[in-house]
Amino acid sequence: MRSTVLEYDISKVVELARNGKRVDGRALDEMRDFSVVKNKFKNAEGSAIVKLGDTEVMGGIKVLVDKPYPDSPDEGAISVGAELLPLAHGDYEFGPPSMDEIEVARVVDRGLRESKAIDFAQLCVKEGEAVRVAFFDFYAINSDGNLFDAGSIAALASFMDAKLPKLDEKFKVIKHEYDGKIQLKRLPLLTTFVKVGGKIMVDPTYIEEKAAEARFSVATTDDGYMSAMQKGMGGSFTLEEVNYMIETGFKVAGEVRKKLQKM
Amino acid sequence: MSKKVVVPGELISSERKKLGGNVYVANGKIYSKVLGVSDTEGDSASVVPLEGKYSPKVDDVILGVVTRVVFAGYGINLNAATESFISTKAMRDQLRVGDVIMAKVESVDELKEADLMFPRRLIGGDVMEIVPVRSPRLIGKNGSMLELLRQGTGCELVVGKNGRIWARNGNIELLRKMVAFIEDNAYKSNLTNAVQDYFGIKLPEKNMPMRNAQENEVMQEESEVIDYSNEGESHE
Amino acid sequence: MSKEMKEEVPDYKKSKKRLDGRKMEELRPLSIKVGVIPNADGSAYLEWGQNKVYAAVYGPREALPKHTQNPYKAVIKAVYRMAGFSVPDRKRPGPNRRDHEISKVLSEALDKVVFTEQFPNTEISVIVEVADSNAGSRVACLSAAACALADAGIPMKDLVSAVGVGKAFNEIVLDLNKDEEDAPDAVDVPFAIMPNSEEIVLLQMDGLLTPKEWEAVSKLGLAGCKQVYEVQKKALTERFQIKELTKADVAKEVSNGVEEKKESKKEVKEVKEEKKDDKKGKEDKSKKVRK
Repeated sequence: MRSTVLEYDISKVVELARNGKRVDGRALDEMRDFSVVKNKFKNAEGSAIVKLGDTEVMGGIKVLVDKPYPDSPDEGAISVGAELLPLAHGDYEFGPPSMDEIEVARVVDRGLRESKAIDFAQLCVKEGEAVRVAFFDFYAINSDGNLFDAGSIAALASFMDAKLPKLDEKFKVIKHEYDGKIQLKRLPLLTTFVKVGGKIMVDPTYIEEKAAEARFSVATTDDGYMSAMQKGMGGSFTLEEVNYMIETGFKVAGEVRKKLQKM
Repeated sequence: MSKKVVVPGELISSERKKLGGNVYVANGKIYSKVLGVSDTEGDSASVVPLEGKYSPKVDDVILGVVTRVVFAGYGINLNAATESFISTKAMRDQLRVGDVIMAKVESVDELKEADLMFPRRLIGGDVMEIVPVRSPRLIGKNGSMLELLRQGTGCELVVGKNGRIWARNGNIELLRKMVAFIEDNAYKSNLTNAVQDYFGIKLPEKNMPMRNAQENEVMQEESEVIDYSNEGESHE
Repeated sequence: MSKEMKEEVPDYKKSKKRLDGRKMEELRPLSIKVGVIPNADGSAYLEWGQNKVYAAVYGPREALPKHTQNPYKAVIKAVYRMAGFSVPDRKRPGPNRRDHEISKVLSEALDKVVFTEQFPNTEISVIVEVADSNAGSRVACLSAAACALADAGIPMKDLVSAVGVGKAFNEIVLDLNKDEEDAPDAVDVPFAIMPNSEEIVLLQMDGLLTPKEWEAVSKLGLAGCKQVYEVQKKALTERFQIKELTKADVAKEVSNGVEEKKESKKEVKEVKEEKKDDKKGKEDKSKKVRK
């Protein structure tokens, strides 16, 4: 049973932060331990269950075939969706997509898409007629904050091992048969920070998000690029703070990537 | 029959017995209503629940958390099925979201909502929570476990029947571990003795009066314990 | 929907074995783990054949919107959803009519079993999400939901145990898989009971059966539900080992926490155990049923 007292004790989180401390004892630039279980869901072409501290998300890819956009006849596409399932927190409700849901889906999407990690030309089946569209959907199972990074890790892990379904002459999917994998050109990962009590901390828990004045996510790749940024919530950052977060993002995402590749 | 872990609907006894808590009768037999530990010793049958929220009872001392502040008063979370409400007039000082209060249950209406009396804000300290239905083990028979924790950790303690403990000073870290241990092992036997042995404390004999100091404190309008506002640190 | 049929349609009566090697009255492997979602009041994760479902219970809690409150009892709100990647052809976001129908029959099955009069004016929210499916997702969800309710400490007259039963390839079978559901003579009967009284709380059917066949199907359904019940009971009770404690147990627990710098020992233990499990592969601690 979750500790409801802590949920409301925002002032305690702020007080600790002012002294550079966090409720769970982490350093300001320390991410929680995480684990990934890949390809458990057999109907998905690639999938991952990610636990980041107590936050748990599941994500999976379905690769469909569709007509290409007229302005990019030789390119496939990706689409990212997210749901903050009421499984994950007593405050989540079913209904039309909430602002938070939409933002988290779009930021994870941006990190993945804008990094040009996925070769859209590889996803072309027949120019002008058929291309593959990879739909990545991820769902919150238990929320203790930072669905951004958890979703990003789930996306990367899912795409790292995503199979391409074999197609017949009419470009219809042949069930249970596969033909190659999605090639990733680089490995983007989001790193998310919040400002609490004037201090910047990475990988916020649920109460740290509640106590935060502002949030910032940056996607970085293994070959030294930044591919997406998003400032969220009200509040503000100085340029110095943003530069610190970008620099820390490279460092932290690099460590996550190293661990991920070993899993 | 010795103690057994049972699931809802599981047969507890086919004999005629007095009905204790969390059981029901069907076809002349007694069944469990909840996931819990059955007890059919003697002439009654009951089940001690392993999981579940707090069910308010009159005169219970509880620890509540302020969840919202409105003009008329405060929403108070008790880890029960419904929130309680305290009017602004009932408090000496103003409360904010996240503040922890202790209070006594004055009455429970037919919708199981609890009305609270003698609310007092608890300042500073740490609050720990366990599964509410396991809280009797934190208190123990005649407050024995409570006394062991006080002596063994040196902490000032206030324990609510709704599964929350507030502690100040003393060895808070040790208390945290003890509370976690009690929560995980609440249904096992010899719990109080094992804790007593671990601390090496000797408790006076069984007829020790319930040293539920906080109950007396709640009753009094003015008392040194309540007057926290002049000591220690506030929340921020 | 394309069928992956061999040239010759199987005949179970002749071959006496099913496509996946099971006996006619044999369940696919079933395992349940309880208490997997920390924020929920009760939860369960269930694997049944290829099916994988999560169930969470929040409640009893205030029923909102207020007009859904019932002053005499708790309102059971079950919601069934499937992840986009849980089916062979991606499911688009948002509930469809099938989701709504299943949510309704699940709510009604659970309403019968919960002592709702004990919690007037409240709601008990039951959420089930299918992560992977292969026939029988609704009975998997119902069985998982019953475990989640018990895990939440909610008083019930009984658990609810559910199974899919019916006919395929000329034989009455228990727990049809997808190939069997696609058989030309397939009959699919989701069947759920309160195991101790054998009262039926969910019953649906698709297909053609003679009354004589129905007799055999219903008998097999009851037996199948009882098999599921054993797995549910084990999952709920296996975490609790009644024993006599000594001070050594206390000492062990207290010293364990000393090495960890994190606040909650339990939190770290869970993360570490998950990592161990992940390394081992897909091993589940809970019971698997193979008859």
